[in-house]
Amino acid sequence: MPHLCRGVLSFFLAIGAMAASAEEVKPLIEPDVRPQKVDESLIDTENFELGVFGGVINIEDFESSMLYGVRVAYHLTESFFLEANLGLAEGGETSFEKLAGNVELLSDEDREYRFYNVAFGYNILPGEAFLKGPFSGDTYAFNTNFYLIGGAGATDFAGDNRFTAMAGAGYQVLVNDWLAMHVTFREHFYDIDVLGETKTSMNTELSTGLSFFF
Amino acid sequence: MIKLLQRSICLLLFSMLSLEAAADDWWKFWVADSNTQQVRVAEPFIDFRSGPAQGFPVIHTSEKGEWLTLLKRKTDWMKVSDAKGRLGWVSIDDLLLTEDATGDTVSITEPRFDDFRTRRWESGLQMGEFDSTAVNSGYLGYWMTANLSAELSVSQILGNSSEIQMLSAALVHQPFPQWRFSPFFRIGGGQIKIKPKATLLSVDNSINSMAHAGIGMRCYVSDRFFVRLEVNDYKVFTNEESNEEATEWKLGLSVFF
Repeated sequence: MPHLCRGVLSFFLAIGAMAASAEEVKPLIEPDVRPQKVDESLIDTENFELGVFGGVINIEDFESSMLYGVRVAYHLTESFFLEANLGLAEGGETSFEKLAGNVELLSDEDREYRFYNVAFGYNILPGEAFLKGPFSGDTYAFNTNFYLIGGAGATDFAGDNRFTAMAGAGYQVLVNDWLAMHVTFREHFYDIDVLGETKTSMNTELSTGLSFFF
Repeated sequence: MIKLLQRSICLLLFSMLSLEAAADDWWKFWVADSNTQQVRVAEPFIDFRSGPAQGFPVIHTSEKGEWLTLLKRKTDWMKVSDAKGRLGWVSIDDLLLTEDATGDTVSITEPRFDDFRTRRWESGLQMGEFDSTAVNSGYLGYWMTANLSAELSVSQILGNSSEIQMLSAALVHQPFPQWRFSPFFRIGGGQIKIKPKATLLSVDNSINSMAHAGIGMRCYVSDRFFVRLEVNDYKVFTNEESNEEATEWKLGLSVFF
């Protein structure tokens, strides 16, 4: 008899437990929105940088000339980036041409100086620059990077197309997330025989530019 | 306006990179602003830096339980804003320790070695020597199977007396695609154009066909990058009595996508 009693009791208890769990499963209010997982394809990535630059390049033996060009960069990591450059300038006159008067060493076409290069850059000193507004007294902080860069490419000058090595450094100021200003100083080296024997031509570029991240 | 331009450029690039993916996802670029991606800090705290690099100063710290909105990504950093609108850059490594709205740990995929094996496209820039003369070259390859790919490459060889331009197509076979250091064999042909220097007597450019065979090695570095080294032997078919031969080696960095 007590056996039966216990059996009946446990039966009712089990039913009660089932009812309770059924109530737990069904919430009083069904939420309208399901929680979403983070979908990274919706997040904008900005690793590419496209820019223009202008400045001065010293073309050995042919004066210093105005230089302009375009630049594309891809940021591999926070420190390393790859960069491709295209530049245009025009060589001036050699001292000999100036002194001798009516002599022309190169045709106008051959005086065109064009280069391309691909380079590896390293942001060695990231930092901040502070600018105080002249009237309001507000101080603005800008992120900056001092970087080293080196690469190689080709230079087309004086009817000759030469393998060219490039090394230099630059300073980048990020105006905001997608706009940056650059000042760079680069040395371009190549061997050329335009004035007779082959020699290494050193061309110094000092340029400034504007770039957009996308 | 700039935002719009940026987005159109992004859209253009993406559609160029993968037409299939773009067909599914193109509309997402236009709703990205309305769709807020949020995560909750699960560690005791998370650092905000002023810029996307370890070298920038920590400007704010959010504590456990705070919700952050993901805004944009640069390399391995994410720009976030907290509930009060404070902005900063958080590292992806830290973000991987946060939770999303479902309560799960956030998953952000990084291109890894596994993708290197299953990639379809690769492209790279290389430099080296062609018959002891400097060579610059670029290529684009498409993997038809895990072992076999077709490649198109252009090269510029800058010599003392001439400039040589080459355009070639090649078939590449890699017997061990699962290896981190994966050797490959290539065979192909194309056109070679020799332009004598203008400073010398004006000689006509000559265009000849050529064939080449070579061996090489791909070494996976990280992310979506690998280093590629190759040695090729060229045979240039000329009108002279004998054909010309040249050996070339080059080394470069490539990406896969």
